[in-house]
Amino acid sequence: MKKIFLCCAAGMSTSMVVNKMKQAAATKGIEVEIIAVAMEEFDNTLSKYDCCLLGPQIKYKFDDFKKKADAVGKPIAVINNMDYGMMRGDKILADALAMMQ
Amino acid sequence: MSNAFFDFIERKITPIAARAGTQRHIMAVRDGFIGAMPFMIVGSFLLVFAFPPFSPDTTFGFGQWWLSMSKQYFNEIMTPFNMSMGIMACYISAGIAFNLAQSYKLDAFPCAMLSLMTFLLIAAPMKDGTLSASFLGGTGIFTTIIVSIYVTELMRFLKVRNIGIKLPEQVPEKIRQSFNLLIPALIVILTIYPLNLFVQHQFGMILPDAIMAIFKPLISAADSLPAILFAVFLCHILWFAGIHGAAIVGGILQPFYLVNLGLNQSALAAGQPLPHIFIEPFWSFFIVLGGSGATLGLVMLYTRSKSAHLRAIGKLGIVPACFNINEPVIFGSPLVMNPILFFPFIVAPMVNATIAWFAASGDLIGKIISLVPWTAPAPIGAAWGAGWQMGNGLLVIALIIIDMLIYFPFFKVYEKQLLSQEADMATEMETNPV
Repeated sequence: MKKIFLCCAAGMSTSMVVNKMKQAAATKGIEVEIIAVAMEEFDNTLSKYDCCLLGPQIKYKFDDFKKKADAVGKPIAVINNMDYGMMRGDKILADALAMMQ
Repeated sequence: MSNAFFDFIERKITPIAARAGTQRHIMAVRDGFIGAMPFMIVGSFLLVFAFPPFSPDTTFGFGQWWLSMSKQYFNEIMTPFNMSMGIMACYISAGIAFNLAQSYKLDAFPCAMLSLMTFLLIAAPMKDGTLSASFLGGTGIFTTIIVSIYVTELMRFLKVRNIGIKLPEQVPEKIRQSFNLLIPALIVILTIYPLNLFVQHQFGMILPDAIMAIFKPLISAADSLPAILFAVFLCHILWFAGIHGAAIVGGILQPFYLVNLGLNQSALAAGQPLPHIFIEPFWSFFIVLGGSGATLGLVMLYTRSKSAHLRAIGKLGIVPACFNINEPVIFGSPLVMNPILFFPFIVAPMVNATIAWFAASGDLIGKIISLVPWTAPAPIGAAWGAGWQMGNGLLVIALIIIDMLIYFPFFKVYEKQLLSQEADMATEMETNPV
């Protein structure tokens, strides 16, 4: 099973996106584990998950986090502003799955 | 003008903020505070029980009962407070060193232990079998930051230079770790401790006292209206560029919040007027109520908008906005890089700050004595933070209405623009059916 984690400043708003993504996964019958964490949890979470998505509000962390993710060969991306704002769980999920191909 | 300005934000301000937000020491301090936060929230929650929000001449039966209970069990209630919030600088000392050590890939636990020992060494010298707690709370915050960074940097320096006691490879890892601490502990005692003694002899105060004296002008400057407005402005400029301004600006303000809170709590315990206004709940519940940009009023406008897009954001955003989470509003509207909504987005929180500041300095509302999780609904959080003063909650409700009025004209302009776009899209769909 694929495991994705989302990361933002406190893990609050990303947890809303996670719910939407889980709903999308359930309707499509995709088996996937998704969680939201605060940015200080990034290091501890990276090893246990396959893919990381950052909330756009912490895109300033991207370069720093990408180095760490590249070192263990895991894909990482910043979620598109509008997808994030509109909480488009299905699209964000599809993008994440495509990244892990 | 506006394009050049937005360009300037994107190219100049954002990278500086990004650097501050990823800087190792600033992050370690921030994460150290976060680690101690549960103690501080629970501790300051208990403080309210010792100081009921009723005047001694209240005729309200429950109030009378509470007052007499709090008097009778004052010490029993205060002990958990004193040992959590009251000595927060101890926990923070270990927390900062732990996080900084982790970022350097050093053994984090020994660094945390050494940092705590060093802090206690200079902040609470034992006398007649007791430790003095005067610098273990808010007044020790700056000392604890300096000490934990010094100790961790020292550990790193020794590791890089390979200075230490070499043990044969067969020695178990745990024992090796504890031996690794011998030299640093000795160096700390030989460096910081004589400095402390020197300061004590020369100026008749211990090091934390001297550090507080140095930071005093900065602390009182930070608790003034211009400084607050500057912080609010900076935070919202960053949000406008799409990055989490509150996480960056708040990280820098956190030490000041804690010092101010500590001083307010000591004043409360001593029965004196509360000296400070600018503490985290003041920011969370008065200035950025409903999330950065004080958007609670705006989301309410969205829920009844004629534009389908804004109505969708309103529906998505209204419940999180009650808990001060507003990413759907910020990225969905979008407020990010939106010139139409730029003005109210910056001005509404500044107006809130100004009104609440004058209300607090004129003692029309209660000042903050308790930390509150920032996700508490704003009127409740504002009342809770001041020890359940209802006037604070009422002011928040008034501010929501004021923010709605500030946003309203700009919201109308934006709505009109979206409506014409939506109409264009609808006609396009009719002429070119998919």
